[in-house]
Amino acid sequence: MTRKHFVFWTLAPATVVLASLALVSIAGAVWFSLMNRTLRSPDYEFVGAYNYLRLLRDSRFFNALQISAIWEIVTVTGTLALAIVLAVLVHETVKSPLRRNLICFAFLAPVLLPRVAAAFIWRFLYSPSLGLLNYLAGLLGLGPIEFLADPSIALLSVAVVDIWQWGLFFTVILVKLLETLPKDPIEAAMLDNASLWQIHAYVTLPMLKAPLISLVLVKAVESLRSFDLIFVMTGGGPGKATETLDLYAYQSGINLGGRVSYASAMSILLLIVTTIAFTIIWRAGKKWAG
Amino acid sequence: MTSRNFLLGTACLALLPAMALAQDAAECKGKVPTLNVIGQGMPSVTALDKFLPEFDEKWGTEVKITLLGENERRAKSRLDASTGAGAYQVLYIDEANLAEYATAGWVYPLADVVPADYDLADFRVDLANVSSYDGVQYFAPFVGGGDVMIYRKDILEEKGIAVPQTLDELVAAVKATTDPEAGIYGWTARGQRGSGMNVWRWTPFFRGLGGEWLDGDMPAFNSEKGVEATEVYMDLMSYGPPGVGTFNWSDSVEAFRGGQVALVIESDVFGPWMEDPEKSQVAGKVGYAPPPEPLPSAGWAHGWAVSTAGAKDDCTRAVAGDFVGWATSKDMEMRRLEAGIASDIGRTSTLQSEAFRAAVPQDYIDALLATGPRTSLLIMANPAWPEIGDTLGLALEELFTGTRTDIQGALDEAAFDAEDSLARVK
Repeated sequence: MTRKHFVFWTLAPATVVLASLALVSIAGAVWFSLMNRTLRSPDYEFVGAYNYLRLLRDSRFFNALQISAIWEIVTVTGTLALAIVLAVLVHETVKSPLRRNLICFAFLAPVLLPRVAAAFIWRFLYSPSLGLLNYLAGLLGLGPIEFLADPSIALLSVAVVDIWQWGLFFTVILVKLLETLPKDPIEAAMLDNASLWQIHAYVTLPMLKAPLISLVLVKAVESLRSFDLIFVMTGGGPGKATETLDLYAYQSGINLGGRVSYASAMSILLLIVTTIAFTIIWRAGKKWAG
Repeated sequence: MTSRNFLLGTACLALLPAMALAQDAAECKGKVPTLNVIGQGMPSVTALDKFLPEFDEKWGTEVKITLLGENERRAKSRLDASTGAGAYQVLYIDEANLAEYATAGWVYPLADVVPADYDLADFRVDLANVSSYDGVQYFAPFVGGGDVMIYRKDILEEKGIAVPQTLDELVAAVKATTDPEAGIYGWTARGQRGSGMNVWRWTPFFRGLGGEWLDGDMPAFNSEKGVEATEVYMDLMSYGPPGVGTFNWSDSVEAFRGGQVALVIESDVFGPWMEDPEKSQVAGKVGYAPPPEPLPSAGWAHGWAVSTAGAKDDCTRAVAGDFVGWATSKDMEMRRLEAGIASDIGRTSTLQSEAFRAAVPQDYIDALLATGPRTSLLIMANPAWPEIGDTLGLALEELFTGTRTDIQGALDEAAFDAEDSLARVK
């Protein structure tokens, strides 16, 4: 058996299982989206593109689309920015391997917390009357701040929890990546009297371009699955201020009269939009890295 | 046929169900390895844990109770029943979705599955009414009731304010007791969206001020009365703790137990919660009274029912029905009272017991008795209610949190959506 055959036959079973699981559920969602199925009744009929056309007139759908886009941008940018700043800080200030490992271990803790647990902890921390953050704000003469009840900051407050979980995790990855970089280019830059931020901005971080693009994509995919965090912390509120598309699909399909077909149409549109967006980002990233 | 033979025959027929049940118990033991039950974290449900081995032993089964939050519990039950999945044999349902479950045939009538030994006639009349649809009782209520006004006796005394008897007096008392500098807020209420959340607490204001849900077949909650009720509700909320616009019932109750609130109208079940010295900073300082006139009391009940999709065969039905009867029985309520749980009472006999009188303050019992006649189902008794209530809840939450300010516009939009929901039910 050639190496090519070996690779093919070892990958084939997993690929078939994954493809069938994905295809069956997508085909099911497409089928449902063309019907008028609700959870209340076993009867349903073919309605063609009605659900898709109704979505185009649904202002709540467009609001959810907008919130999802803002959520993606804020959490991906925030996570990467926090990770880069902290990684450079740890790399430059903590030289003892033991201390560095201890810090990395502590930074891993948030991402190990189940999302729902993290959401409950932060919901309590954010409480305007009983929460620690408002107590500290009170000591500074600020507040009370309604982190989750004020529509203008609710989405940002939830995003902070996501960034806290993933930003610290990515910091650990970046610290380890910085340790693996060759020393020569950095020493050369130091001989040229480059400042610390110049070394990182023009030497080390460009050397990490490819892994950084991978991290952006991983986080972008992960951010699409933040349903549990938002659901527990705000339930999409106040009003519709934190209602992302997956949350609205859930509300439509399960809570609001169980309109499964309408929710399926929404999910299919979300799939199409994200596939297009990720293809564009992936290609742009490859071009930039190349 | 002689009348003696006739009476004998009738007696034998009457005994048949009991004989059938005895037969079931013998025949079905060990045939239902697992009984899956959906639950919500009410004290009556969590207290059941230590007694489960007793039931498991009786039927050779293992009862597994899945505890969920209110909204998740509703979603899970609906999904399991409507898709015919039937993963749960016992469903936890309430007044808000009873019409939907009964009309869809997702649960059995209670008398068809729960043995008569459990004395179904002993359920509190107000709760039995709420757990019935078209005169048929579908779930066994273990918690429920109506509303009660809960207030801080010490704060009202200090301010020289009498217990409010009317809505105007309530508004005045709320304003007079609010002192944010001292960390005291006159009022708290549910703001978070949901038919069982903000809509539930808003409804007595709406109905008390004369509002009606429907005008013929059309939604009418966007009427002048709806706007007026929302204005009063929002005025009171402006004297609430920070973040009240998204408070759920737990936030509201905890704010009161934390000593931050002077007055609240909540479900009467929370009365005993205020008297728990381990969890309440205001235990012993709390008074209870009926809601001020003209506010009615919102009747509600939570309980267990047997799922038609989950309990298809005779043995599963027998075990599930017996579980519902056992878990909501008189004996179980007395055991809970002995364990200090006085909040969840579903039986008339328990209400009349000495143990209950010893467990709660007398003015709480007086408030319950005075509120009873004003308690009824205030929500729209329609299968479309969960959908209509949730849509209305979203509109109210938007208003409460300042996302939008036009009350009439928000109610109009909710009513417009409700037209669709009602049409789909038809």
